[in-house]
Amino acid sequence: MTPELAHARARATGPLSLGVGEPSPMGMTRLGHGDGTGVALPAWPDGATPSLLEEYQVAPVNVERSGETRRVLAAALKCCWTDLTADPWPGSPAPVEDVLSAYRALIGRGDDLMRNWAVGALRRLHDSAWLEMDAGTVRLGPRCACWPSDSHAQLRELVRRLPSGEERSPGLDVLPVAGEAWDDSPTGDDADGQDGGHDSGGGCSAAEGDGERLEADGDETHGPSGADGGEAHGRPGADGRSVAGGDGRGDGTGGDAFVEGAASVTVPDAVDEDLLGPFDERRRAEIVAAFMAVEHAAEPVHEARFPALRDPAPRRTLAEMLRRRGRTLVQDREAWTSGYADETAALTGTSLGEAERAVLVLVLIHSVAIPRAEGLLPADSWLSPFPAQVDELRRHTRLPVGELDAALRTLRHAGLLSQVKAGEEAGGYIPGPQFNRLTPQARRRLQEELILAAGPHTPLAAAVRANRR
Amino acid sequence: MPETNHEITLDSALSEEAVLATYRRMFAALARDSGAVVDEPALVDIAETLFAAFAEAGEEWLTHEQMRHICRAYPLEQFENRLRVLKGLGAIREVFPKPNQLRYRASFTSVVGLMFVRRMMDDGGQSEMHRLLALEDLNVADPRTTMEEARLSAQNLSRAFRLWALELITLTSGTIEELREQAPKLWGTEEIARRAQSLHATILTRWPDLDRTCTELRAAIYSYSDASRRAAGRLADSAGTTRNLTLLPAETWRTFAQTATRERLAAVLDGFVFDAPAPWHDPAAIVRAVDESPRPAPAQPTPPRSALPDPGPADSYEPGGGGLDHLASVAEAALAGRGTARLEELLTADGEWVSARRLLADLVSADLRPESPYRLRWSDALTADPDGEPTWLSHGHLERAGHDA
Repeated sequence: MTPELAHARARATGPLSLGVGEPSPMGMTRLGHGDGTGVALPAWPDGATPSLLEEYQVAPVNVERSGETRRVLAAALKCCWTDLTADPWPGSPAPVEDVLSAYRALIGRGDDLMRNWAVGALRRLHDSAWLEMDAGTVRLGPRCACWPSDSHAQLRELVRRLPSGEERSPGLDVLPVAGEAWDDSPTGDDADGQDGGHDSGGGCSAAEGDGERLEADGDETHGPSGADGGEAHGRPGADGRSVAGGDGRGDGTGGDAFVEGAASVTVPDAVDEDLLGPFDERRRAEIVAAFMAVEHAAEPVHEARFPALRDPAPRRTLAEMLRRRGRTLVQDREAWTSGYADETAALTGTSLGEAERAVLVLVLIHSVAIPRAEGLLPADSWLSPFPAQVDELRRHTRLPVGELDAALRTLRHAGLLSQVKAGEEAGGYIPGPQFNRLTPQARRRLQEELILAAGPHTPLAAAVRANRR
Repeated sequence: MPETNHEITLDSALSEEAVLATYRRMFAALARDSGAVVDEPALVDIAETLFAAFAEAGEEWLTHEQMRHICRAYPLEQFENRLRVLKGLGAIREVFPKPNQLRYRASFTSVVGLMFVRRMMDDGGQSEMHRLLALEDLNVADPRTTMEEARLSAQNLSRAFRLWALELITLTSGTIEELREQAPKLWGTEEIARRAQSLHATILTRWPDLDRTCTELRAAIYSYSDASRRAAGRLADSAGTTRNLTLLPAETWRTFAQTATRERLAAVLDGFVFDAPAPWHDPAAIVRAVDESPRPAPAQPTPPRSALPDPGPADSYEPGGGGLDHLASVAEAALAGRGTARLEELLTADGEWVSARRLLADLVSADLRPESPYRLRWSDALTADPDGEPTWLSHGHLERAGHDA
């Protein structure tokens, strides 16, 4: 797999999993699980993170229910980051119930509504690889390894002052919701033994056996990292950093492969140094800022704010940086964003499930194609102010309602749809900001595919087919 | 609609012109001279109004007066003119062909003709072509049909197709706006070409001798299909990234959305790559979210307190405490053991206002405190002493009231 393709796949489907001993593709960070396998995540040049956008007052990708989601992430950190002397990732697994009670202690209320919200936030964090939920346990996801090490102190301080789930007052107890199913696994099977623990106020390490095991692991991960001196934390120098060392008695600790051995984070050296090197500090910072802006801002950014987009020379460098990631610049007058390069997209293949694609097509028909056919939509783009009514989607399509709702949620979360609210029942969905990222070729192809699907026997479809031949 | 009530805009003029063009084309073959076809859409409306009224009147027929009444919305002159033409062409006739006939009837053929015209306007004659092809198909399959009839039918069809194709070709080389406007009405679907070809095959199988005519028909069909495709191709090329969606009617889109299966819908986005959700949770943002976490409000919010150690409510107000004691001692000193004391003496004792006013203030306070036993009783007497201090002095008594306190 070429590095371009690897980057495109990581962007389209999330962190890539790597086999035993497989190195990470160029320009990607390797997060090693103790057993030799690992995951790869794109690394950003010059240690930048998307928070750089704040400095330029550019809105990042919208986070659904951001406050709640981040508080749940904080609760998960509280439970999973047991050894504060080490880096947050990989941490140790914690039962979902513990994370929920930590969240309950954090916000000070414990009704069913809060529980549903928290479960929704856990699912979103799982989908975006910030957490990994599996069989009733929660672990920190690969993206937690992207926090720059100089921000760890801030998080450490946060985790120290967060109330743990144990301290909650008995009045806030919530009965487990009957018949509630987790995303992919019922809490029942694995958390049964621990449930007793929670009800009597069990926090992160309350469940006896589990606590012991975690502690042992904690010691293990703690020791060698202390020996390393920890001075190399997060510096993208030399040969990366080691979060935890020693594979000691990993096999003895039991079935959980994740905490066995030494997890490690290997950050690639000097990402894009060959491209950025020739520029002076200021130019270099401008290029990195423009790179982060086109890759991570929600909407296209105006070139007036990013000198590296305005000047052709640095823009060339930027385009090359994007090319290495299977991306390309997409221009709309004076605003820029990035999208998948057409040739890479052809190789990457579809990343959405069938139901999601079907729902997305329905929204495109109702909010773009029909208004356009009726002459209401003048702008030549895939964005539209005309929402596809939820009612229309529910009643007048052949998709089952349950499937439709689940797909709408996924698409909304990914920024492929935006919800438009109007009054109590009305409102609907319009194409989301991701449609800004389609290249002109992709936009044209989307139009042709729609025509071929809706009117396969029209001369227009025949012309499309003839053109392609 | 009388012309006078009708504001003529460029748009309405254009659409009227389009309607008239269809009328003109429809009846061009029958017209005696170029002036014979209507030059205003309202004239056709008069005819339609009349036909509708005739249909309703049934066997009663209509008299001239009744017709005039029905068309009262139109100017008399226009109505008479119209009636004359319709009568002249036989669309409206006397019930019995006798002089001085008063009752009239309408011709069925004319009504059908009008229906046909309206349909032509909607789809440029595509559905008529469909029907025509279906009928011809039946005709040539009929055992009674002669070869001569089949030849005629094939020739007619190839002529129609050729003219149709020519019109499309002219449009294709014209302006893109005109093409966008007109072409979707003219270009045929694959269905029409398929039907025409099957008709052609039927004729050729039944009358192999007609192969020359059939070759012509075939060529006409091909050139028509080709012209359709070329017009569509030119539009597809000229359009932007979504503009061509206009070229399918909204109904087609709706039908597709309502009837397509999940697989068919999903197939549209095959091979399109979108980003997985990857929001960024910055550590600072997480800390902020925790700090801004909505806390349940306690029943009684406590007021803010200083961070310094709090010795408790030591020097707060105690009823019956210091203040009253002080007042009592002042009053007792003034009374000096007596039951009552004259105020004018007490206030002038020191000979200066500064101390007198302090004493007065204390005594007044003691008087106003209901729990203290000291009362002031003012009299109406007043001394004025320009040289003394205070200069004006009201007289009165300080007394200890109710010895129970």
